[in-house]
Amino acid sequence: MTDAVTFERVTFAYPGAGDAVLSDVSFEVPEGSFVLVAGATGAGKSTLLRAMNGLVPHFSGGRFRGVVRVGGTDTRAVAPRELSHEVAFVPQDPGASFVVDRVEDELAYAMENLAFDRNRMRRRIEETLDLLDLAHLRDRSVRTISGGERQRVAIAAALTPGPRLLLLDEPTSQLDPQGAENVLAALQRLVHDLGMTVLIAEHRLERVAGFVDLALGIAAGNVTTGSPQDVLERVGLGPPVARLGRLLEWKPLPLTVRDARRHAADSPPDLSPPTKRHRSFRGGELMAARLLRAGYGPKVVLHGIDLEIARGESVVLVGRNGAGKTTLLRCMAGLHPPLSGRVLFETEPPRPGTDVALCPQRPESVLFRETVQEEITTTLEWKQRTGDPAELIAYFGLPAAILQVHPRDLSAGQRQLIAIAAVAATGARVLALDEPSRGLDAESKRHLVSFLERYVSDDRAVIVATHDVELAALIAHRVVMLAGGEIVAQGSPEGVLGDSPVFAPQTARVFGPRWLTPDQVAEAVAR
Amino acid sequence: MSTTNPFYLIVIGAAAWLVYAAHRRPGPQLRSFRIFIWFGAIAMAARTALVLLNPVLHIAITTSSVVVALLEGARIAVLLCVFGTFNSVSDPYDLLRLSPRRLYEPVLAAGLALSLAPRTIATVAEVREAQRVRGANAARWRALPALVVPVLETGMEEAVALAESMDARGHGRGRRTSYRVSSWDLGSGTMVIASLLVLGTIAWSAATGRGDLSVAMSPLQWPGVSPVLVTASAAIAIPAFLPGREEGR
Amino acid sequence: MKPWLFVIANVVGVFVFAWPFIVPAVAPHIDAPWILGVLMLCLGALLFAELERAGLGPKIVALIAVLGSAMVALRLPGYVAGFSAMFIVVLVAGNSFGPGFGFLLGAVGTFASALFVGGLGPWLPFQMIAVGWVGAGAGIVPRPSSWPRRIAILAAYGFVAAFLFGAVINLYFWPFLAGSSRLGWHAGAGGLVNLRHYAAFYAVTSLGWDAIGAIGNVVLVLLLARPLLGAFDRAARRMNLDVR
Repeated sequence: MTDAVTFERVTFAYPGAGDAVLSDVSFEVPEGSFVLVAGATGAGKSTLLRAMNGLVPHFSGGRFRGVVRVGGTDTRAVAPRELSHEVAFVPQDPGASFVVDRVEDELAYAMENLAFDRNRMRRRIEETLDLLDLAHLRDRSVRTISGGERQRVAIAAALTPGPRLLLLDEPTSQLDPQGAENVLAALQRLVHDLGMTVLIAEHRLERVAGFVDLALGIAAGNVTTGSPQDVLERVGLGPPVARLGRLLEWKPLPLTVRDARRHAADSPPDLSPPTKRHRSFRGGELMAARLLRAGYGPKVVLHGIDLEIARGESVVLVGRNGAGKTTLLRCMAGLHPPLSGRVLFETEPPRPGTDVALCPQRPESVLFRETVQEEITTTLEWKQRTGDPAELIAYFGLPAAILQVHPRDLSAGQRQLIAIAAVAATGARVLALDEPSRGLDAESKRHLVSFLERYVSDDRAVIVATHDVELAALIAHRVVMLAGGEIVAQGSPEGVLGDSPVFAPQTARVFGPRWLTPDQVAEAVAR
Repeated sequence: MSTTNPFYLIVIGAAAWLVYAAHRRPGPQLRSFRIFIWFGAIAMAARTALVLLNPVLHIAITTSSVVVALLEGARIAVLLCVFGTFNSVSDPYDLLRLSPRRLYEPVLAAGLALSLAPRTIATVAEVREAQRVRGANAARWRALPALVVPVLETGMEEAVALAESMDARGHGRGRRTSYRVSSWDLGSGTMVIASLLVLGTIAWSAATGRGDLSVAMSPLQWPGVSPVLVTASAAIAIPAFLPGREEGR
Repeated sequence: MKPWLFVIANVVGVFVFAWPFIVPAVAPHIDAPWILGVLMLCLGALLFAELERAGLGPKIVALIAVLGSAMVALRLPGYVAGFSAMFIVVLVAGNSFGPGFGFLLGAVGTFASALFVGGLGPWLPFQMIAVGWVGAGAGIVPRPSSWPRRIAILAAYGFVAAFLFGAVINLYFWPFLAGSSRLGWHAGAGGLVNLRHYAAFYAVTSLGWDAIGAIGNVVLVLLLARPLLGAFDRAARRMNLDVR
């Protein structure tokens, strides 16, 4: 079998940066493989992908040594655009990558640049629209379709010129579990049916681990290749089932729920019943929504929501894209006027930024100062509070050294945490977070979880909207499931998530609805 | 369009309104017609007001000078009205597609700016909200950096992503083909022939001096009306009776 | 863009605005709209012949697109008298990326915003050139390495530019207000006479209006130039871009 990509002793550092992101990296990727690129946040996953189509170093500049070959071509010898028939690249935020306004034209853009004739373009576009089930969107504007559709359109636009190698940077970060599943299944079909090589950089390993047949692990500038099991073991990452496997010493390490269930059936572990994490909230109600209806223009998004938040409670909202999670958070924060019904904090409507603080889906909306330190002190000044920024970011496991860094120079995960810190510095009684685990690796997620636990213990409350069911399982005292703007289920995480076919965390899928997190299993093993 | 003959002006204005009523499109351009009519009215008033200032400069006001000023103002108003119609009925992306191939890159940039604009506007609202729930309560002008900086910072990050995506997708490789051709259907054919006829008629009248395109001012008298020219002016309304195109967006 | 082309394009551009002072002396009987049409065509052909040949490349196109969309967003709230927040983008981007980029951004951004709000009309080419000049000028003024001085110079330029912009932009319709008054254009009169009339016209109609724009520019530059220049520099670094 020939190799789709080879790296020979590649070393690369960004302009002005002292440390090399890749140091003396050599490996090859055989053609027709589905490859996971794994690594902690900021480890260089994106850089590795960009080195495969020449964006590094042609676009980025910087110091580059060694040779990268793609389909036999040296990427140093030609500009990225000359590789565009060979390699396709889908960046992290597909919304920012669209060049033309209409879906159909967007699919044609790369082929136009490659001077395809019109008949060939038409054929390729029809084929690709069918492959990714996009035909009904062809005349829509790329700016008005939903996040999941955008992701599929970006992949389709990358596929039309018929590349042999497809590079995807976190393609499921904005998708709900089902949407992610659909995209990954479509990619797998390309690998199996067309022999395409697909590389995918992703944090949410529980989603992709079952699909890939090879992995590249990146840590401290070094890249290891091998089976997903081996590589994840070596870089110390893995989906929750992998952690279960390590705890219970299952060999080979399971990466999918299916493997883990087999292990569990073959050698049932002797587990005492899980400890319950619920607390009773004697402090009583802190805020509530009553018969809340809200919407945008003629479109009603929330249809009569009744929701109470108790002191010391952390509530997680789940539901697919477009279920109304963000709108509900905005109403609770007093930002969005209800059509009818009311939102009360204690006995008054909530004052935004005082009673309820909200960190929006895009943390970038919050950040505007030149350093992390100023970012946090600005909030403190606005609220006339005192506090120590270094202490605050330490709760998130961030070193004091980054206080002097420009927030926009941080990795996506660190940026997310800084935005949460800057919002939390308001000291509001209720902290609302919209999709807080985007771009966070396992380590930073743990810090976020412990910060939130500390926050609620002070008689305050937390509301989180997320697609990340593993995060929900870690922090929720109560889970509220939204669908079509209504609450369809609420209660303990065991009750709501435990046996849901879409939202159950991996541990529950292996051991049943009473078990939500590997931590519970670890405790039971220790006992 | 250099007529000041009020009869033709009325016909042209009415024709423009007909087209507007038949084909107006939803969206921010819709307001443009009303705004343009306002501007037209203001221009007319301003043109007339300039004459009324004459006594300050020791020039006598005559009936003819007022009428001429009024008619010249009306000419500007009708012109604005025609452009207002044009703005309200045309799809900006179609206009961009009509631009010459040589201008591909600047036109692409303009088209992109246009299509990114709603998102940028949404970002402004998003950022304002984000700062509010974070506790921003500074005086409005002092809160301006908190509003504008994240919008442009986020924009610059998107620009990097966009440039990368264009580079990776072969932008600027050299010869390129185009997927969408602007097709000539019966409607556009009729349109072009009609507008050529209108232009030709007006040019012919201007060249031969028939049809009283401009109003004689000394002595002031009612201008004549040529049926040919009235028909030509009314022909501007033809698009109002053509079927509109299917809109995909 | 080749320097000589830039110069020619701007000379034609100057003529587009200044012809009411030049033409009457030379050929008093030509109708105003025709002169303008021909001039605009020359200018467009000149500018864009070179653009196509050299190619802007994805980085410049992307930057202009994104900053252009910011101009649309900032223009939307409308003008407060002669002031529009849109100018801060042109000023800072021109200062950061140079006169050529500033001109292109001003022109393309104005075009895009006209498409967005439905402001197409014969005035559009004039607006494009005039806003382009504001951007180009911001790239020409000195840029000392000390931040306070650089921002002070840019603020001063923003102040002056608002008046120049107002003076230039009124020129396109001024000849249509031709009349017997001493504020209007006289087709047969000499350049100096017309210049005097125009000065009077400007002082009466536009000066106060533009003063508000000038103050607005200064306030915005003082508040925003520092962080925005930082943002643009960082983007240029990440794109490995050297436009100047």
